[in-house]
Amino acid sequence: MSAVLFYARKDSEKNKRMFVFIIIAIALSTANIIIINGFMDGITDDFVEKTMETSSGHLNIYPDEQNRYIEGLGVKEQKLDTFDNVIAYSPRINAGGALSYKDKSKSIRILAVDPIKENRVTNILGKIDSGETLDVNDRNGVLISYRLADELKARVGDETVLVFEKGNTKVFRIKGIFRSGMALDTNTVILDFESAAEQLNLSNKASVILVRLSDIALTGQYKDTISRELGAIKVKEWKQEVESILSSTATFKEISSAINAIGLFASAVSVGVILYINILHRRRQIGIMKAVGMKDFQILSVYIIEAMIMGTIGIIAGDMLGYLGTKYLEAHPFSDPILGSLSPRFYTYILYDASLVTMATVILASTYPALMAGRMNIIKAIWE
Amino acid sequence: MDIIKTGNLKKSYMLGKVEVKALNGVDVSIQKGEFVAIMGPSGCGKSTFLNMVGMLDIPTSGEIYVEGNDVTGMSSNKRAEYRLRHIGFIFQFFNLFNELTAIENIMFPMMLNRMPNYRKNAQELLNLVGLGDRIHHLPSELSGGQQQRVTIARSLANSPKILLADEPTGNLDTKSSKEIIELFRKLNLERGQTIVMVTHSQEIGEKADRIIHFRDGIIEK
Repeated sequence: MSAVLFYARKDSEKNKRMFVFIIIAIALSTANIIIINGFMDGITDDFVEKTMETSSGHLNIYPDEQNRYIEGLGVKEQKLDTFDNVIAYSPRINAGGALSYKDKSKSIRILAVDPIKENRVTNILGKIDSGETLDVNDRNGVLISYRLADELKARVGDETVLVFEKGNTKVFRIKGIFRSGMALDTNTVILDFESAAEQLNLSNKASVILVRLSDIALTGQYKDTISRELGAIKVKEWKQEVESILSSTATFKEISSAINAIGLFASAVSVGVILYINILHRRRQIGIMKAVGMKDFQILSVYIIEAMIMGTIGIIAGDMLGYLGTKYLEAHPFSDPILGSLSPRFYTYILYDASLVTMATVILASTYPALMAGRMNIIKAIWE
Repeated sequence: MDIIKTGNLKKSYMLGKVEVKALNGVDVSIQKGEFVAIMGPSGCGKSTFLNMVGMLDIPTSGEIYVEGNDVTGMSSNKRAEYRLRHIGFIFQFFNLFNELTAIENIMFPMMLNRMPNYRKNAQELLNLVGLGDRIHHLPSELSGGQQQRVTIARSLANSPKILLADEPTGNLDTKSSKEIIELFRKLNLERGQTIVMVTHSQEIGEKADRIIHFRDGIIEK
């Protein structure tokens, strides 16, 4: 083995230009995998984080299948107060309606929250683009999404008419315009819980209660306990809430995997072709190796080891490039009209995956040229 | 004792649709410690014979015995191992490893054979061929004669039983040719090295103990 390693090292040193070219191809391919996957993870994480920030507690309590609203809200809140690790909860009302401003009208989703309770669970009320957020018992103020504001040409301070789904109407003053980076931005208005309950005739009821625990790891344990203690209700963990997001980002991941596969294929072709040409140019040398007594598998090993040497250096360079590229793009994200910004995230597992996949590809790409070298006919190699 | 013996050795190639009989029934016996020259016109089968004996090529039919062992049926790996341990090759165009220095060229077969002290032994072989001061020179930094001497040193790396030389002086000037043949003679006399050398030159051939003449794939005399 020492002779094989010795020759592989010497041959690699001799072919510096080829060596550098292959290393660049491998490095770019590895960095490409790290950055693209980093972007996919970044987008997924952003979606999940924003969902958790604006729309979900660690546990979310819903009414059972037969009811639209959770009944007996006060009693349920009292029971929630008795759990040690429930540090906050926020009941919400979700309803439909329409918002009119001057001669324009849009159908909307109403989200009603108690500002004090909501602020302990999410920071949806902090996502203000302009104006102010809702105050406690702010019965006449409303927050509207920035897209709704754009479509209605409404601004902070304007008065709008909100038609609730049961037909009640009330005039609200736009107190603030929010931007959550989530679906809420499409057509949502946020108003005070009591005000909405009054207009929708919902006494002691809520559409959902978001629950925050002292430790997110307790969700599994508390899901069943809360469900049992609070009666006929449905409790979902935050993971279930973001499942749809994860499944939709899985599609993006598949696309990114295809992009990575194309990059790897290009790199593999470069490595394979360069090694193939190199071996064709070194027929006589291979013939001499055989003549002095090198076995076929030892010659094959020489070229596989050469590829692995180049692969190792290329992968280390690619890992560094990928890491630095990811960190740079994390610090300088692309702006996005919906999410606000798009940036990759660096995770060690991506580094390992990229390194392993690239090394496997490099070895695979070098196998055919190496086999060709091992099986070369001595007479043809030396004399033709 | 016969170190090499061939029986009705035949080798034919297909050149397009035409069968070319490079060897057409060759019976040769070479004694241990003999210095034999093989001569004949181009295309008479000299190099083909050397390739068969050196196990670089496989005969179409016939037998080859080395030290009494039939080597014709050996697998590719066995033949490689046999070449490594028992046969040394010297080629017309030197055929050194261009990326290795003189000493590394000699060390390499020793390393393949897992020989201990390969650097020291390689240095001694370079001294033997008179290139003790050129150990770190690449082949491109050596003259033709010097390169051929490195090739000879490499061929001796694993103390082979047989040295096979295919036109070893064919690419050298007269002075270098003479030096190489003197080196062969010295190896033959001092170490009892069996040498089989293919040559075109009558003058070089006459330096050997015996000349075998080939013509049209058979032994002429």
